[in-house]
Amino acid sequence: MADTDEPLIEVRDLVVDYGRGKKVHHAVRGISFRVNRGECVGFIGANGAGKSTTMKALLGFVFPAGGSVRVFGAPAGSVESRRRLGYLPEVALYYPFMKARELLELYGGLQGLSSGELKRRIPPLLDEVGLGGRGESLLKNFSKGMQQRLGIAQAIIAEPELLIFDELSSGLDPLGRHDLREVLLRLKAAGTTIFFSSHELSEVESLCDRVIMINKGRVVTEAPVADLMKPLNVFDVRFTCGEGDIPREFQEFGAVDQGNNEWSLHITDQDAYARAVARMAELGCRIQSTASRSRSLEDYFIDLVRESRDHPAAEAGHHAEALSRP
Amino acid sequence: MKKIWLIARGVLLEAVRRKEIYALVLTSLLIIACVVLLDFFQLHGISKFYREIALKVMSAATAVATVVLAARQLPREFENRTIYPLLAKPVSRWRFLAGKLFGVLLAAAFCLALFLVVFVAGSLYLHAPVPWKLMLQFVYLQLLMMLILASLAFWLSLLFNLDAAITVGIIFYITSAVITSATAFIYEWASGFGKALLLALNYVLPQLTLFDLSAKTVHSDTWPPLSFQTMAELTVYAGVFITVYTALAMLSFWRRPL
Repeated sequence: MADTDEPLIEVRDLVVDYGRGKKVHHAVRGISFRVNRGECVGFIGANGAGKSTTMKALLGFVFPAGGSVRVFGAPAGSVESRRRLGYLPEVALYYPFMKARELLELYGGLQGLSSGELKRRIPPLLDEVGLGGRGESLLKNFSKGMQQRLGIAQAIIAEPELLIFDELSSGLDPLGRHDLREVLLRLKAAGTTIFFSSHELSEVESLCDRVIMINKGRVVTEAPVADLMKPLNVFDVRFTCGEGDIPREFQEFGAVDQGNNEWSLHITDQDAYARAVARMAELGCRIQSTASRSRSLEDYFIDLVRESRDHPAAEAGHHAEALSRP
Repeated sequence: MKKIWLIARGVLLEAVRRKEIYALVLTSLLIIACVVLLDFFQLHGISKFYREIALKVMSAATAVATVVLAARQLPREFENRTIYPLLAKPVSRWRFLAGKLFGVLLAAAFCLALFLVVFVAGSLYLHAPVPWKLMLQFVYLQLLMMLILASLAFWLSLLFNLDAAITVGIIFYITSAVITSATAFIYEWASGFGKALLLALNYVLPQLTLFDLSAKTVHSDTWPPLSFQTMAELTVYAGVFITVYTALAMLSFWRRPL
């Protein structure tokens, strides 16, 4: 969670357009959010939702048509705002004619590290991202996954206070993802602020304190991960309760006759589940099986995108309201 | 300055590690070697002929290498998206451009140095004297010309695309001398408006022939080295065009979405 309320990223009513006149495409339509020091925030959305454009606006790669973006209190894109951050682009190739060590010397040097400091930092950094012993290899011989690992190394070489990762684990194999998660957990524990987008929602669940979900250029949900998960608990209970009809209260819970005096209940509220189980015990019902599952962030995300597709005119608030329904 | 150097070093590494420059030098070497071999026929004045051919080949090959290297710097950065992690570091866009330009200059100097070794070796083989002072002035002015071509190629690559920038840059290098003499020739017959247009053209386009000391270097027995004042004036002349083209490139790049 955030150590302080000091915002490292502050986005207000950001609008980013591509093209002009009749061919204008509104990539980002007035989004606002902030990321405070010490937070780990996931930025998720479907393809074309505006995630990469927003991240590019944070770096000053695209220019807002409206609103403002400030990083470390300075206008986005200014040299001052980029001094203390590390960035991993969505897709980037690195200079094929360079060696891994030379590339890190270039990026570290641009971030103000001395050559002595670079000599000290580069070998353990390469080890940490799983490229130990490859410092003298030319990058033209690196696979996509190795380039991504190197990308992570260049982003964290100067131990920045803020990390912005666009598509966190793109191109990484399961081992690479595991290594990356370890790196990020270490950095998070050290107080580094992390803001990243990812299509791997399990990654967002396991790393983030908070999630910002955008769709069609608008923020549709912004909440702590724990809050998003809380209302999504689902309990499936199968039970028998003697001959004949079951008590009316179970019918109110929506019990479904499965035949052979077996009934099933699908409960989406933890308190209701506790009440139902207590009542079953009172009545001497026999619980055959019980399964509880939490809907994942992925379920939530899919529902959101479907809702948006089925009701394209719905406003952000309506999306959130619709999705909060069990 | 350190950031400019770091970016320039990357361009130099690219020039040194890619094969293009060596292919160009090797091809040029073959041409020069053919001229040296003519010595077997004991032709009169072969050393001057050698110097003329060698210097022209040096200049043309370096110009082609410079234009190609400069023109592809920015489009390749966009295409391969290498510009994103680079400009995410605390480096301003003008420093990035200046670093790239400086790097192209270093690569051109590397290319010229390779040719210079070949030139001196050939001269020694033919027992021809090497006019060192004129030779250094030749190299210096060539570097100024390469900077003009590189800054022009930068601007063109941002204005059009990689292919167009290379084509226009090389055509301009080849036809520069023709344009200069043609405008001087046509000027006498032109009307008032035409004269103004030709005069404007004369000032807008750099006269690259001013930076070509090959003829003087060949006939070094007749021509003394240029005076310091002339060299200074040529430096200022080149500086104006380099500044204008770089500023135009910067204007195109400054607010360009990436």
